[in-house]
Amino acid sequence: MISFLRYAMIRAFQNMRGNLFPNLTTIGIIAITLLIFSVFSLIAFNLASFLKIWENKIEVIVYLKKGIQISELESLLKNTQQIEGIEAVKYVSPSDAMTFMETKLGSQKNLLEGIQPAVLPPSFEIQLKKDYRNSAKIKEVVSRLKQFPQIEEIQYGQEWVETFSGIIHLMRLTQWILGGLLLAAMIFIISNTLQLTFSSRREEIEVMHMVGASPAFIQVPFHIEGLIQGFLGAGLAVLLLLLLFKVFLLYITPLMRGWLAGIPILFLPLETITWILLGGMVLGVFGSFIASMRFLKYS
Amino acid sequence: MIEMSHVSKTYPSQISALIDISLKISPGEFTFIAGPSGSGKSTLLRILFCAEKPSSGEVMVNGITITHPRFKKVYQLRKTMGIVSQDFKLLRDRTVKDNVAFALEVADQPSEVVKKRVTEILRQVGLQEREKDSILSLSAGEKQRVAIARALVNDPPLILADEPTGILDAQMTTDVMKIFTDLHQKGTTVVVATQDMDLIQSYPYKAIPLLAGRRVDMETGDEVRQEA
Repeated sequence: MISFLRYAMIRAFQNMRGNLFPNLTTIGIIAITLLIFSVFSLIAFNLASFLKIWENKIEVIVYLKKGIQISELESLLKNTQQIEGIEAVKYVSPSDAMTFMETKLGSQKNLLEGIQPAVLPPSFEIQLKKDYRNSAKIKEVVSRLKQFPQIEEIQYGQEWVETFSGIIHLMRLTQWILGGLLLAAMIFIISNTLQLTFSSRREEIEVMHMVGASPAFIQVPFHIEGLIQGFLGAGLAVLLLLLLFKVFLLYITPLMRGWLAGIPILFLPLETITWILLGGMVLGVFGSFIASMRFLKYS
Repeated sequence: MIEMSHVSKTYPSQISALIDISLKISPGEFTFIAGPSGSGKSTLLRILFCAEKPSSGEVMVNGITITHPRFKKVYQLRKTMGIVSQDFKLLRDRTVKDNVAFALEVADQPSEVVKKRVTEILRQVGLQEREKDSILSLSAGEKQRVAIARALVNDPPLILADEPTGILDAQMTTDVMKIFTDLHQKGTTVVVATQDMDLIQSYPYKAIPLLAGRRVDMETGDEVRQEA
């Protein structure tokens, strides 16, 4: 078994060396196709992590009706705290709100001169449990809150959450549709390159058939060749992506940096990189398998 | 050893290569498949080593019904036979020794067994002095002897040779036929397809003549109908 694997590895490398140009072309094409897929993965990954950061900060502001009585306030606070998915509720009185606005305005706080805190509504700042910090779950909490007549208005950045979730969903969808198309293209390219290798080794394959070499003996070196092509192509794709990522970070505009407001731009995690490499290898083997089904069969 | 029963082969182009052929070759027998070019000799041999499937009929080789729909392990059958073709089918980028060793290597034989057996078989075919030479440096007769050595190296009970002397001169033909007759005397079943009638008449072995895909009588040329 070991001697067979050693033979298969040696044959695979000999094949690759003997057909260097088609092999390099295949590796290059695999790298480009996987790079396109990886770019989409990277964008989707960053948008998702951006959303996650934002979701962690997400809170629901409930504006209460002006003139609400203390007794009503206490029972409303208690009832609100009991709603499923709510982690903490902080009451913000009109004067707290005024202080907050003054702090926000800083040197321009004189704009608030003459304005009484009473014009500002009292509110609850509601923090949600981790599982509830998404568009669907927020809606559940909000619909429960809307049942209280003392509540005037509820704000939670609904549109923003929905739009952003939609963009991520679209990115993921594009990533997988594109991935599927690229996958088919890769299998086609790998199987065609291996056909060139088969042609160049036709004589040897014929002799192998003649002397009764087992299908594994004939096919495994080609499968290893496909696996190596897939691995090298995927590895090259990850390296190119890293290069593009570094260049992007280097040339990112100050305006964009400001817009991102300290949100980090991340490279693909090790797990995803491992999946891309494994995917490349599986596709390589699959491509060679298809080619061998057509060309290495015993007649 | 070999049994064919009402075997016909028609190619997609509607050319009938074999028509209702029945024959039986016993173990240890030396048999010529005789006939001019296009008579169906090669097709018959190709059916025996599973390079072609017959359109109809039944074929049994080495106790295996190779026409059975569930028969798939062609490579296992081929390990029990040595195949020699007119165009040698040698690996031109390898030495004499490597070409012969190849048949053992694909059977995953240990290197010491390969070395010993290759030396033995090259001595048997008279090529021991040329084992390190490139195939390209050999004469046609020597190439054919390498091809025979490769066919014999696994010690198969059956040898199928398609026009093994087709492009050889008289001396080379005699040398090659001597290898086959020696094998036959040791008990190997040998089937040689040839169009050389002089060659067939030089040896006291059975001949199965074919003409335009039909089995015919050697003397009269009439079609032979044989129940198998």
